[in-house]
Amino acid sequence: MAVLKTENLARYFGGLAALNQVNVEFRENEILGIIGPNGAGKTTFINVIAGIYLPTEGKIFFNGQDISGLPAHRRCRLGIGRTFQLVRPLQGLSLLENVMVGSLFGKGLGQREARKKAKELCEFLGLSDITRDITEMTALEIKKMEIAHALATQPELLFLDEVMAGLNSDETMEMIDLVRKIHSRGITIGIVEHVMRVIRELTHRVIVLDWGEVIAEGPYGEVSNDPRVITAYLGEEA
Amino acid sequence: MRNSRYLLYILILIILVTLPLHTGVYLLNVMDVILIYLALALSWDMLLRSGQISFGMAGLFGVGGYAAALLHLNTGVNPLFSIILGGLAAGVLAWLVGMAVLQLRGMYFAIVTLALAEIFRVIVRNLPDLTGGPEGTILPSAIFAGNSTKTYWLVLTVAVVSVIASEIFRRTRIHFALTSIRNDEVVAKSSGIDVFKYLVFIFVITSAIQGIIGGAYAHIYGFVSPEGSFSIDFTLLPIAMALLGGMHSTWGPVVGAVLLGVASEFLKLYIPYGHLLVYGLIIVIAILFFPQGIVGTLGQRLKKPR
Amino acid sequence: MNPFGKLKQSNYQIAIISVILAILLAAWKPHVLIEGIQRACLYAVIALPMALILGIVGIINLAHGDFMMLGAYFAYFFNVYTGVDPLVAIAPALLAFFLIGIASYRAIIKYVLGAPELNQLLLTFGLAMVMEQLANLIWTSRPIKLSLRYVSASAAIGSFTFGTFEFVYVGAAIIVLVGLLLFLKHTSMGQAALAVGQNPRGAKLVGIHVDRTYLLVFSLSIALVGAIGAIFMTRHSIFPLVGAAFTMKSFCLIAMAGIGNLTGILWCSLILGLAENFVLSFRGYAGWADILFFALIVCVIIIRSRQRQVK
Repeated sequence: MAVLKTENLARYFGGLAALNQVNVEFRENEILGIIGPNGAGKTTFINVIAGIYLPTEGKIFFNGQDISGLPAHRRCRLGIGRTFQLVRPLQGLSLLENVMVGSLFGKGLGQREARKKAKELCEFLGLSDITRDITEMTALEIKKMEIAHALATQPELLFLDEVMAGLNSDETMEMIDLVRKIHSRGITIGIVEHVMRVIRELTHRVIVLDWGEVIAEGPYGEVSNDPRVITAYLGEEA
Repeated sequence: MRNSRYLLYILILIILVTLPLHTGVYLLNVMDVILIYLALALSWDMLLRSGQISFGMAGLFGVGGYAAALLHLNTGVNPLFSIILGGLAAGVLAWLVGMAVLQLRGMYFAIVTLALAEIFRVIVRNLPDLTGGPEGTILPSAIFAGNSTKTYWLVLTVAVVSVIASEIFRRTRIHFALTSIRNDEVVAKSSGIDVFKYLVFIFVITSAIQGIIGGAYAHIYGFVSPEGSFSIDFTLLPIAMALLGGMHSTWGPVVGAVLLGVASEFLKLYIPYGHLLVYGLIIVIAILFFPQGIVGTLGQRLKKPR
Repeated sequence: MNPFGKLKQSNYQIAIISVILAILLAAWKPHVLIEGIQRACLYAVIALPMALILGIVGIINLAHGDFMMLGAYFAYFFNVYTGVDPLVAIAPALLAFFLIGIASYRAIIKYVLGAPELNQLLLTFGLAMVMEQLANLIWTSRPIKLSLRYVSASAAIGSFTFGTFEFVYVGAAIIVLVGLLLFLKHTSMGQAALAVGQNPRGAKLVGIHVDRTYLLVFSLSIALVGAIGAIFMTRHSIFPLVGAAFTMKSFCLIAMAGIGNLTGILWCSLILGLAENFVLSFRGYAGWADILFFALIVCVIIIRSRQRQVK
């Protein structure tokens, strides 16, 4: 059964259709790539599934349950996690505490357990010196913290929104390995990326969005040769 | 390390509790005022940590006062119990207002709370049979028959309760929720936090505390009135204290309350009518030049050497 | 910022219903209709400058009503020392408060423009307190009033008499509204202001001097509200806290009309003004009129948040 399924999903802002007639399935434990030119609606897609926006039309099913009307925090507790493109770490909390927010509220753990889980995740992702101030972290560390925070909510389905942006070649390699490690824990992953090398290496399938509609779907090899996709925008070869 | 801190707190507590044994009535009355404003300042800060401002302290304070006074008068309920009921009344009102208005937050919430004091004042003035109208109601006797030691202990208890509440808000998961909500509601939501419910909860709790403080005040001074119980003092001073001392902390409002409380006793000697002006100036200057307040700025300075 | 309300089918229906209600009201309680309209325009003319600042500069000024209070005191003392009628004092008031607006912006407001809304609210709250307390210190809380003969002018329709001086507010509201709309739509400064209000960074990119625009709009707003204070002085007694209620009612109107909707403020003020006077006309319930704005704003907020549920 599909972990997540959207049915004719549409989201309008005023008269503009940011998403239109989107029918997508996330199969269990797959890594699904979401690509498309800028403004295609990739982040909006994540926002609608995560519950930041309610769909204007259509439905969303999570493990068979209709979640189209649920508020964001309920969807998080059900098991949908996501990272944010523009990471804004929470001021006033340390690195570890930032991650703890996820474990405290995503699954309602007590403070001690939440702290333990957060520590575990930081180790898992290779973050060190976790009680320090968040104002002095590198781009890679901030990304890792963001992923740790999302993982802390114990998601079944995790969306990674452009986690590779701003990383150099070595860092990208490290991140690819991390995503594989996350995947090996049984999590279904949706990954939005502009860096095609990442998509090529990690994903089982890819969907291509353009102007809010899905114009192609399939393994990367097929999709990258689809003339429609090529015309729309293929993105950089990294 | 931890233990020495707790010893310090216990020491301070002992000093405070035994104060009546070696000071006079004047000092106890000054302490009463400081402690009342300290509690108000803390309750304001607790809501501030969620990112919302309430300008309605005077309103909820007055509601607590009126509820406590009128319940005691009309139903003969024990004064101490009526104070708790005053807090309950304020809490229920806050729940109603919060449920209605907290969906929009920000300036909408702030300005609605600003109007609260005025609204309650109007309501109280227009129900003279119940509330005594524009002249207010005088209680047959002040609580504890005006015994300044017991009165002081009552106020001290209320202040300690506020401090404990503030610390609970800082040490439990509530701290994480408040900080997340304040920083970025979208991130908070995506972490599983029910933002609206938390905000209503915080608003209700802090308003209930304000109601309890108001109830205590009403019984101590023995009367309630539209002008007196809903005076802008009860909104203005706590805000100035919290800003001066440093927001988002327990020590900040405490330091601010002590400093300003002591200072105002001196101010009253030299400029009997101007002290409110000073508080307004403090707020303006604090926002412009040191939004972190004294405790916050010191805290940063101490961390700086790296 | 869209300074014009949008006209739709349903608005025509509302307009017709309103006209019918107005006629009924005129027949039953003509005082309420006339005085309601006059009061409404007073609220509107005070709210419009606040809406201007909020829509373009993006800051909520909790001290707004207190600038009006200062304008009233200004006109009073101007009259006392020079014998000049407060209505004539509108001109010097406009100038004086334009300068005061510039000073306030440069010294204070500018610094919180980029800051979180919290800081703006607290700062302007502190400013309001300072102004009110300063006024209290200098002029005491004793209300003062000018007795001018023309303010008791009245007219009669049949057996029903009403004050005619208060139509000054109606005139002022129309002048200010039309003036602002013309300014915003038909002058280059106004159009620049609109652009800045909608998208400050975009405006900067096309070369509009954002800071100067903010300065101009802010000072204009303060100038207007100071001048309105002068007009207010003619008819009412003033005291240091007189402005505070107007700040809140102005915000109520802005919330009802929606930020950026200047014309809407006039219509919403009619609702508020008529409703208040309606309640005032019932002898036993007069005291409750001052709660109406609160009930209105709570309702508006509830309705708005329902709308926003569609996220």
